[in-house]
Amino acid sequence: MPSDIRAEIEALRPYLLRYASLQLRNPEAAEDAVQETLVAALAAEKSFAGRSQLRTWLTGILKHKIIDAIRRAGREQPLPDDSLEDLDALFDRSGHWREPPQDWPEQALEQKEFLQALEKCLALLPARTGQVFLMREHLGFATAEICKELGITATHCWVLLYRARMALRECLQLNWFGAR
Amino acid sequence: MIDCKHAARLMSRAMDDRLPLWDRARLRLHLLICDACSNARRQMRLLRRAVQRLV
Repeated sequence: MPSDIRAEIEALRPYLLRYASLQLRNPEAAEDAVQETLVAALAAEKSFAGRSQLRTWLTGILKHKIIDAIRRAGREQPLPDDSLEDLDALFDRSGHWREPPQDWPEQALEQKEFLQALEKCLALLPARTGQVFLMREHLGFATAEICKELGITATHCWVLLYRARMALRECLQLNWFGAR
Repeated sequence: MIDCKHAARLMSRAMDDRLPLWDRARLRLHLLICDACSNARRQMRLLRRAVQRLV
């Protein structure tokens, strides 16, 4: 592999680590997944051949390593359960929103800074909640698969996903949509 | 008639699994008359699309 590509890969390392940490919530497991990705990338150098962007290519490999790691950890050492913080505080006694959700402009999706704000909000989610949410919404697991891999019930899974969505709504309203 | 608290849970669950017929009907009815919940649903869908773009 030419040395300039190696340098490029090295430059992407912090990004890859951040991406893996967000989903694995365990610094050592994230480090391992990135390491395995770099090894696989060097071995498969020829299959890269500039067909796609280096970052996209590496992320694709890393995604598979993350899925493997989640499956392994699900069996061996699952993340501890998050404390059940009271989400009912979002609603008043009669079941209405205390702060009714606003109409968010779709253009946010095109803004890089919005995605960065989202990443920060994701990192603030409790570990297991964040992991389940990203398994579902980023890695594309069905809820039945999440239950199987993590050994939780469907109801538990729905609760975690609900909590993640509500917390992200609040976080983005506060730090992005409400601040603009 | 369900309230927003109940509707929010159903909306989220509907994004992950198929809701029972009765819940689907109740949720649809609620969304027809509730702007806040309709906004919440759009927000959750926007979140989904945004998270898919995280690369």
